[in-house]
Amino acid sequence: MKKYLRAYLISLQETLQRRSSFVMDRLGGIAVMLSLYYFWKTLLWGHPSFLGYSYSQMLTYVLGMNILRSFALTGRGWELVGEISSGKISSYLVRPMNYHGYALALDLSQKTVHLFAALLEIGALLIFFHPPFYWPKSITAFFLFVGALMMASLLFFFLEFLVSSLAFWTSESGGPLFFFEIFIQFAAGAFFPLNVLPRLIQKGLSFSPFPYLVFLPINIYLGRVSRGQALQDLFISGVWAVVFGAASVWVWRKGLSIYSAEGG
Amino acid sequence: MNAISVNSLQKEYQVFNRKPGLWGSLGSVFWREWNNIKAVDSISFQIGEGELVGFLGANGAGKTTTLKILSGLLTPTSGSVEILGFKPWRREREFQKRISLVMGQRTQLWWEIPAQETFRLNQAVYGLSDKDYQESLGELVEMLELKDYLAVPVKKLSLGQRMRAELAAALLHRPKILLLDEPTLGLDVVMQKKVREFILDYNKRWKASILLTSHNMDDLTALCRRVLILEKGKLIYDGNLEGLVRRYAENKIIRIVFDGDVPASQIAAIGGTVDSQKTSMWVSVPRAEISKKAALLLSSFPVADLTIEEPSVDEIVRKIFSKS
Ligand SMILES: Nc1ncnc2c1ncn2[C@@H]1O[C@H](COP(=O)(O)OP(=O)(O)OP(=O)(O)O)[C@@H](O)[C@H]1O
Ligand SMILES: [Mg+2]
Repeated sequence: MKKYLRAYLISLQETLQRRSSFVMDRLGGIAVMLSLYYFWKTLLWGHPSFLGYSYSQMLTYVLGMNILRSFALTGRGWELVGEISSGKISSYLVRPMNYHGYALALDLSQKTVHLFAALLEIGALLIFFHPPFYWPKSITAFFLFVGALMMASLLFFFLEFLVSSLAFWTSESGGPLFFFEIFIQFAAGAFFPLNVLPRLIQKGLSFSPFPYLVFLPINIYLGRVSRGQALQDLFISGVWAVVFGAASVWVWRKGLSIYSAEGG
Repeated sequence: MNAISVNSLQKEYQVFNRKPGLWGSLGSVFWREWNNIKAVDSISFQIGEGELVGFLGANGAGKTTTLKILSGLLTPTSGSVEILGFKPWRREREFQKRISLVMGQRTQLWWEIPAQETFRLNQAVYGLSDKDYQESLGELVEMLELKDYLAVPVKKLSLGQRMRAELAAALLHRPKILLLDEPTLGLDVVMQKKVREFILDYNKRWKASILLTSHNMDDLTALCRRVLILEKGKLIYDGNLEGLVRRYAENKIIRIVFDGDVPASQIAAIGGTVDSQKTSMWVSVPRAEISKKAALLLSSFPVADLTIEEPSVDEIVRKIFSKS
């Protein structure tokens, strides 16, 4: 356990060291948040509700996306791809450590820093723009949201790990990861609520793990999901996490065996 | 008891024919074609506890490949390897706690932050108690003269400082087996000497078995009594280094740069031509005759520049190979 705590701390330190790239990351996120904020604000002006979202719920969805992007959809996929193609992972393979656990610890530390930044940004936005903010109706809804957020993070970690591991086969190119990153933001609802999409696509996505990453957690927060339904969603996202956790371990092992045959 | 025991070890790299494009490479997750490249060709050797052995051979001879197998990074194609009773490629925790692999051109240090942070991480990774860690660290910092660099971000260290930090990170857990791949690569003469002294000291102090590759003759003469020589994946020599040098390095090399073209055949009359490139030529001459031959060369040909060099390890290896 201690080694993962150390890994968490060392990565925290590195993120703080690389302030400029962190700030660039955040600025990108702020730009997305502000443009979506103004987009929905203009669109909904004078309408009491849209697709079942009240004005305040929709604007809160936009702010919530910033939290979810920062905590759930943040990872170190590109680092992993780089470590695989440069052979840097060799230095972990010869040490008595579990790379999955190590990577998760590093991920969590990045998520922590980004979460703090996102909360600050949203706080600032609340103070300066006074948007109509939706506060959860019950403490239970809030805790269910936190649970969904944790589940979403774990699920995203495994998904991203799986896709990044494909670098064992694709060598230099991070093509799959690039595609994944763009796709997932749409499919998870990190640009707009999935209700905007045609029914058929919504239906299709509901059988996939993606809505559990952003769309459902925010809807739980917004009280648009009953308590029973929320618990069920939490359970299903847990099942997805287990499925993709196992798949990522399997692909990782297979990748390693190729790595060991091919070069290292 | 042997610390390392290698029997008929063979490694063929399977190089997968990667398909172009995204779908091709994704498809290769499930099916693929490959070519084989034989890098290590049934080699056998034993290394005892506390032995310091040099591993040499020309570029591409298979040294790094062998070290990667010994450290557990690569699975052998056939043959057996046993280190302290473990099979390396199983990567058992207890095995990993007893070995270390240092590659001159790779780093395990975190780049943006001070080396001491990586040391603390390794303390946790290897499960060292605070007492053991402090003791080991204190010793390494002193031997490697690292005190002033502990708190400096690794990216700001010079190559020599980084290499020493690298060694410290790799040795905190006091491995009994140490595999060093070109540890003095790119270091200046003073730093090479320091690293060498350290390696020797570590070897003596902990009776660690060390296998080290280098293209630097000084490394080998200073450190190793025994050397293994690989040539195209085959082990062609396993024995005493001194005898080897006495037998094969009785010559020195004169390097000449000519003003214009001089046919190699004319030079051959003076000494054995080792190598020639356009207007440069390397000529091998017995030690005793060096000044006489140099003078002769200078007076008989349009020489622009002339230097006298020690033969390189690769040169010696090549000689051994051509005679065997
Ligand atoms: N990952 C790999 N895939 C395919 N072939 C490889 C791979 N790594 C090495 N080889 C080949 O295996 C042979 C041995 O390489 P190796 O790196 O072990 O040599 P070496 O003795 O360490 O050489 P050097 O002195 O240049 O470091 C070479 O022919 C090399 O091209
Ligand atoms: Mg090598």
